[in-house]
Amino acid sequence: MSDTSIEADLTRSANGRIAKERLYHGLLFCCAALTVFVTISIVATLAIDALEFFGRVNPYAFFTGTEWVLRSENPILGILPLVTATLIVTIVSALVAIPVGTAAAVYLSEYASDRMRSVLKPALEILAGIPTVVYGFFALVYLTPWLQGLGLDVSLFNLLSASVMVGIMIIPMVSSISEDAMSAVPDSLRQAGYGLGATKFEVSTKIVIPASISGIFSSYILALSRAIGETMIVVVAGGSRARMFDPSEPFANLLNSGQTMTAAMVQAVTTDLSGGTAGYYSMFAIGLTLFAITFSMNLLSNRIAARYREEYQ
Amino acid sequence: MADNQFGRDAVSRRKFIAGTGAVSVAAIAGCSETSDGNGNGDELSGEVIVKGSSTVFPISDEMAQRFMDDHPKVNVTVDPTGSGGGFENHFCPGNADINGASRLIKEEEKNHCAENDVSPIEMHIAGDALTVAVSPENDWVDSMTFDELAQIWGDDSATTWSDVNPDWPDEELKLYGPDTTSGTYDWFTENVNGGTHRTEYEGTEDDNTIIQGLENSPYAMGYFGYAYYSENKDRVKALEIAESEGDDPSAPSLQAASDGTYPLARPLFIYPAEGALEREPVYEFVKFYLENTSADWIADEVGYVPANQDMVDENMTKLENAAGE
Amino acid sequence: MATTDESTGTWFGADGQVSQLRGLLFKAGCLGATLLALFLVFVFLVYVAIDAIEPGTADPAWWATVATTVAGPAIVLSIYYYRFAPRAGEVAYTALGLPVAATLLAGGVSIVFRHIVSPHEWLALVVASLVAYGALEFHGRARDAGALERVVVGAAVIGLTIVGVPGLVPSLRTLLLSLPVLPMAPLALLGTFVVPIGVGAGWSVRRARESDRAGLIAGGVTVAAAAIGAVAGPVVGVSWTTWLVLTTVVGVPVGLYVERVYRGGKGVSGLALPVALAAGVVVCAVIVETAGFAGPDVWIDWEFLTSAHNRTPREAGIYPALVGSVMMIIVVALAAFPVGVGAAIYLEEYAPTSGLSGSIVELIEINIANLAGVPSVVYGLLGLALFVKVGELRPGIVIVGGLTVSLLILPIIIISAQEAIRAVPDSQRRAAYGIGATRWQTVRTVVLPRAMPGIMTGTILALGRAIGETAPLLMVGVAAVVRISPRSFFGLFSAMPRQLYSWAQLAKPDFYHGVLAAGVLVLLVVLLMMNGTAILLRNKYQRRD
Repeated sequence: MSDTSIEADLTRSANGRIAKERLYHGLLFCCAALTVFVTISIVATLAIDALEFFGRVNPYAFFTGTEWVLRSENPILGILPLVTATLIVTIVSALVAIPVGTAAAVYLSEYASDRMRSVLKPALEILAGIPTVVYGFFALVYLTPWLQGLGLDVSLFNLLSASVMVGIMIIPMVSSISEDAMSAVPDSLRQAGYGLGATKFEVSTKIVIPASISGIFSSYILALSRAIGETMIVVVAGGSRARMFDPSEPFANLLNSGQTMTAAMVQAVTTDLSGGTAGYYSMFAIGLTLFAITFSMNLLSNRIAARYREEYQ
Repeated sequence: MADNQFGRDAVSRRKFIAGTGAVSVAAIAGCSETSDGNGNGDELSGEVIVKGSSTVFPISDEMAQRFMDDHPKVNVTVDPTGSGGGFENHFCPGNADINGASRLIKEEEKNHCAENDVSPIEMHIAGDALTVAVSPENDWVDSMTFDELAQIWGDDSATTWSDVNPDWPDEELKLYGPDTTSGTYDWFTENVNGGTHRTEYEGTEDDNTIIQGLENSPYAMGYFGYAYYSENKDRVKALEIAESEGDDPSAPSLQAASDGTYPLARPLFIYPAEGALEREPVYEFVKFYLENTSADWIADEVGYVPANQDMVDENMTKLENAAGE
Repeated sequence: MATTDESTGTWFGADGQVSQLRGLLFKAGCLGATLLALFLVFVFLVYVAIDAIEPGTADPAWWATVATTVAGPAIVLSIYYYRFAPRAGEVAYTALGLPVAATLLAGGVSIVFRHIVSPHEWLALVVASLVAYGALEFHGRARDAGALERVVVGAAVIGLTIVGVPGLVPSLRTLLLSLPVLPMAPLALLGTFVVPIGVGAGWSVRRARESDRAGLIAGGVTVAAAAIGAVAGPVVGVSWTTWLVLTTVVGVPVGLYVERVYRGGKGVSGLALPVALAAGVVVCAVIVETAGFAGPDVWIDWEFLTSAHNRTPREAGIYPALVGSVMMIIVVALAAFPVGVGAAIYLEEYAPTSGLSGSIVELIEINIANLAGVPSVVYGLLGLALFVKVGELRPGIVIVGGLTVSLLILPIIIISAQEAIRAVPDSQRRAAYGIGATRWQTVRTVVLPRAMPGIMTGTILALGRAIGETAPLLMVGVAAVVRISPRSFFGLFSAMPRQLYSWAQLAKPDFYHGVLAAGVLVLLVVLLMMNGTAILLRNKYQRRD
């Protein structure tokens, strides 16, 4: 590298250039390292106050308790009702989002004409951009009355409409990541299938889906972890009464109100409870649990997705 | 585009980056200077931050709106954080000027405030008449005593109406009440049940659910704030309440709550911080607030029990004492 | 692969007829599922629109007038374009969408000039920035300085011109502001906002037409139109800020587009649609006014957009929350964009891929993917701890809300920027290295310009996410009711989704079905514009590749 380069910048002294490179390298590294700092602060924030909480409440009782009564005198703090409500929301939303999302992905990746794709993909993306508080509003003000109109005995706040809405919200997530995975399947595989006389249906279901299955699964996990962490829909439409799952009447659980872990956290900052009590600090213990769950699900999804990347790239 | 990357484009891009960088730095720096404070002329301006109970919120919000009609430059923000959430996160750390509360401040909250040199001044500004209601189809009960209420709500032992009174039908009680975190629940637990509350009931944060529940089942019963009852008088039947067996039962009304004949009246408070009252907008707002606590609209528009003149006078004295120091 | 399906032992396609039906059903099912999701949300949107507009309250005659004067001609024209002139159709929809989008943007710019930077502050800022740039450029040319010296000089220049040392040395910017004589506010804005845009417009026309005269005319018309309005605006009842912003933010792009269509000569007839619609609206207004037909009792009207929350539903509005959202987005963009892009550049261009540091980088990448999945409510707790408890900022102010949300969208920006950077072909980097560019020079002059459309798309989508976030704002204490727009980045604010949530908690049915629906519609329109811009940007960019 000589000083005869064409660019004015390049003609500056080599010394200054190296120093400048180092400076930028350092700055950019700081940007990337900031994300690690964010993770550490999340864990620290949650852990410090969660420790405070576990100083007052026995962790074993917390994680195995089947009753959640948040009140200023003698609160009963067992996380299981919140966990079961979260599970209900996750499962029902998965029942909505997985079939619809996967079918949409297959259609977009295998069947849709370019023109169709250019309309449907942005439309799905716009779906993904609707704020969750708006979805919550849809559930509370329109979906619940519809369900009541259909003859379902749902209460004003209920887990069913909240979960269905969470499901609709995560459809674009399932469809877009699954579609990416399906598009990553090399065309040669499809052509081999056609060469053997397979129909488009057979190619889609017996070649493309199995070949991209790890990507599809990773999209499911990501979407489910989003459903677990979803806050505003369940706060607005799901109610704030924690109820333990009642196995004797599985459907009644859906029709009643229920409180998920995220909703309990929001409630803890907006109640008449006095701060500094176990009830208040419970928010951080729930947050830590939630963080641990979503973190491990995301790790799992990364692992699975990494496998499929290795397969075809 | 790509062919002249190293040519004059490089200069203009640097210019762009320098420009946007400078603008961004300056945008933040520049705007932080035009911050609040008592500005132009003698018109009152500044900020008043009100947090606290969601029960007191409707009064404070209405007060803020009316106050700002007179003083459009004072920004009064009102936020229902809950009594406790307000003390813990905003008021005691010194980040709020006034905290609404549907219960008295607790000892640990006082200590927390004291740690930060915040001294709350207690002002009883209004009341809420809790209403106990049943289905309109219920024809066996018109009034109840505290004792009967405590039998039903105190613990989970009563499951049918006849468990409480053998004259009542042998049908299952369907109970609707406020959420366990609400001040209404706390007050009922403390003052009616004597410190306990049953857990088997439909607790809800939305009083509409209680009204719906009462409408749907003849064997239902529930309690909630008077404001909701006044808007739904035709949908549910309110019970008359007597404190003990010998007393005359009294129907819920704001008048009865105000003169003390209706026993289920719950006090509502605001807690201004003594230090914040030194700021003129806060002082003026609290003064306006207190002067208006006896106004008719508190009953007509918000559905709460207005303060009587004695309460107003007492609060005003507290205010003057605090501000005079 | 074997020639037979191992599980059944039959040839593919041997059951031809049946599998065709099955295939068709499958295809229809997949399409149906896709449409179902879209349809459901579409139905909800229709409900919101009905609640916000209440079409039932209007006179049937009013609807008939609207149908014949506005909707009818538009439909006829659309059919014509669809059947006979597809190119003109494209022009028509762009020519219709552009003014709408530009007007919304103009609303945002007006908010900036009304609440964030006053015209004088803007003037001082522009002058000070120009001086700072000049000084830096001069230093760069005059001295062959090392990196340290440059950083020091840069900081000193920016400090002296723009920031200043509080209490000791006032900055050039504050000095300018304290001058006894400043140009009148309209003039200040004309000189420092309209003129640069006019010059830009003139430049672009000059390049396209290859004629100095055309360029001069374009620039001149822009400035003149703005200047006339600044004088005449108040006479016709429009404030001069509104006029200046409208002429530049709406007039310039629309003018440039029309000019381009005329110059290209293709699909000129498409321009008839917006003209017909505008004429239809005027005719409709005149008829409705003279005949006295009652329009619908809309919730989403000018008053809703310009007033604050009120306990009387009919008088409630969203303005302070709108301003709050704009200010918050500015903070989010300024905080998250540079850091996010910086991190992406590091990970894609600088990060070692092997050895110990390689595995650290891999850890950072996994960590970023995980952060993207952390629930938003947890970020709220983080913001509360980091900025309120540790940073000792007041809860509920713009900067706290903005920074908290920036943390939330940072991983999303990083991931999308990484994808955009990865898409730049390696050959271009090698070419840059080949002529002796350093790594940073390659990044700055080759990689970033190529990746910028992709980065912008990802960033706008992320900002769309940011504008709709509610839970973190609840956690950092953004108040339910704020009736005055924030006057600084350290002022108390409310944002649109926060306002929607507090309306959802008010029990009055009018809030549920009227005010809330109108608020949802405003928020969705803003989001639709942002996401639409992002998608258009990407489509254009993809087509070019």
